[in-house]
Amino acid sequence: MKTSFKKIGLGLFVAGLTLSLAACGNSGTDKQADGKKTTTVDIFQFKVEFNDQFKQVAKDYEEEHPGVKINISTVGGGDDYGAALKTKFASGEEPAIFNIGGPEDLKTWKKYLADVSDTKAAENALEGTLNGVKKDDKVLGLPYNMEGYGLLYNKKVFKEAGIKVEDIKTQEDLRAAAETLDKKKKELGLEAVFALPAKETWVTGLHSSNLFIAPEFDNDVNKTYEAKEVSFKYGKEFKEYIDVQQEYSVQPTTSLDYSKQMEELFSNGKVAMTQQGNWVYGTIEEIDEEFAEENVGILPVPVNGVSENKIPVGVPNYWAVNKNKDEKVQKEARKFMDWLYTSDEGKEAVLEEFKFIPAYSGYDTDKIADPLSKQVYEYSKDGNATGWVFMGYPTDWGMNVLGAGIQKYVSDNASWDEVVKEAQEQWKTSRQ
Amino acid sequence: MTNKKSWLYVFSAPVLIALFCVVILPLLFGVYYSFTDWDGVTVNGFVGFQNYLNVFKDPGFRQALWFTTKFSVVSIILINVIGLGLALLVTQKFKGTSLLRTIFFMPNLIGGLILGFIWQFVFIKAFASFGNLVGIESLQTWLSTTQTGFWALVIVMCWQMSGYIMVIYISYLQSVDVSLLEAASLDGANDWQQFWKIKFPMIMPGFTVSLFMTLSNCFKLYDQNLSLTGGGPYNSTQMVAMNIFNTAFSQNKMGYAQAKAVIFFIIVAVISLTQVYMTKKKEVEV
Repeated sequence: MKTSFKKIGLGLFVAGLTLSLAACGNSGTDKQADGKKTTTVDIFQFKVEFNDQFKQVAKDYEEEHPGVKINISTVGGGDDYGAALKTKFASGEEPAIFNIGGPEDLKTWKKYLADVSDTKAAENALEGTLNGVKKDDKVLGLPYNMEGYGLLYNKKVFKEAGIKVEDIKTQEDLRAAAETLDKKKKELGLEAVFALPAKETWVTGLHSSNLFIAPEFDNDVNKTYEAKEVSFKYGKEFKEYIDVQQEYSVQPTTSLDYSKQMEELFSNGKVAMTQQGNWVYGTIEEIDEEFAEENVGILPVPVNGVSENKIPVGVPNYWAVNKNKDEKVQKEARKFMDWLYTSDEGKEAVLEEFKFIPAYSGYDTDKIADPLSKQVYEYSKDGNATGWVFMGYPTDWGMNVLGAGIQKYVSDNASWDEVVKEAQEQWKTSRQ
Repeated sequence: MTNKKSWLYVFSAPVLIALFCVVILPLLFGVYYSFTDWDGVTVNGFVGFQNYLNVFKDPGFRQALWFTTKFSVVSIILINVIGLGLALLVTQKFKGTSLLRTIFFMPNLIGGLILGFIWQFVFIKAFASFGNLVGIESLQTWLSTTQTGFWALVIVMCWQMSGYIMVIYISYLQSVDVSLLEAASLDGANDWQQFWKIKFPMIMPGFTVSLFMTLSNCFKLYDQNLSLTGGGPYNSTQMVAMNIFNTAFSQNKMGYAQAKAVIFFIIVAVISLTQVYMTKKKEVEV
């Protein structure tokens, strides 16, 4: 009797072992199991803001194209997306379409990236928008949209203070304007002139720095990516730009974050200027629709000796097609991308539902939804756009080295020269 | 005898298997990856001990480790003192003790991330307006300097964990034999003496448990760190767990981060095992 129990016990043990081992090993085998005619295109993307609209558009597409299922999942934010994407691939649930940011991602994901140069979307992509994802004649990604940034300013406050935006052409003008505003800040209801969100290292370390580092590399992201060193040729101008903001900003800047900057301060008219891009429109709109519609303008950041009246416009992210997937899935993925960016329905969705600034030709640009995006588009159209090169910085350099350095500088824990020197050294080390 | 033993194996098998799959295997994989140049997607090559050597040359990691150690020491002491204090308070005989217990325990029911965000509000808004009122500048910049950021983390950690530790101490305090205390009071021992000479040695096992829990929790803290300061300003309040995460996911150096993690694992294991060994020796048998 006892031995039989023992046997049962042992049997259970073995069964449990095999089960759990099977559970351990069971991953990544059934990629395309359904023998039926439906082809599923899994999309893994990071732009949370347009998730709902995107899903709706995908549903419309499914109705129009029977036999295709578009399966969208979204994980938001920079690092989180990268981590989640790696997890997806490691677990074997590889998406057919995913997002890449620039040269660094190109290297990381190179064995998964399919050449999409034969798509209609790639053909229609505006000049320059494919720079970040081109490699020896191959196009490895399709641009999402275009975005641009500068100093957002409160039109009403500027008008009341008698400052004309057209007159701000140099960094001295900017400082003078800040001084004027600072003197009148009581009457204008301002807490301070600027909001410098030094806590958000992407604002300072990536976007601000881009203004002053891009000219050094001719606005070329690939040149930046290949550069062994960074000279901070416009370091003095960069310092002045940070200085003027720090001097006239709401304090303490090192704990001033995005939500305080945009929601609490700028949208409520507590500051006159702050550096952000057209993507903040939704945030401002949620706080005060009228303010968003009427009162927000983009002032190009003047960089002495480099640019007046120009704003950096770039592609924040690209769609990539997974080479590892079934031919059929890949084909459907391309088709969907083409439909999204080149068909009439797709175009309408991109402009009116997603509220994107299109990175492709053939759009009715009068329909660009919000005034901020419209301004960015105008600059770009008139040839008044410089590039985004921060995707070509060494990994994590912009935010964690330069952005953190700027925090040190504005909290008086390091001199500007120390920050620059440290940043240069780190750049060199990571490019060895 | 042998029969009994084989039953032991049979019944502990499910747990052991689960443990093997979710703890031991990942650990082994982790150790393997720490010897490679892995970026999370492809293993680019075997680099031997290079990752480990780099860890010791990494000022960011050293700083994070030092910060974590300081934080842990201060927090462990405070949490245990406060926890024991609260336990003593609510084991007194007066009305409302069970209500107080619930209240003290409550912070522990809130997740670390949310707690961090709530306290962020307190530190940035409440502290700042109070600081404005009385004119103390450090209150106005509570999360933006290293020192005050440190204390912010300590405060939140204590607030969250003290209640939990209190519960552990309560259970040990209540299991102290009343006859011992009565005998002591008959012999003329006052409350203070009763606490130090009788209760304190009797709840020694409680210290073993509590110290172990606070120690490992403080060392491995990530969520409050993320939501409260995010490592800022300039990464000076970054703890080891966050340093490892950032190395892995924002710098794409998975292999290197693994090496850091293995070293961190060894450090935490050595410290907590030593602590358990030492406090175990101090426990008394009745």
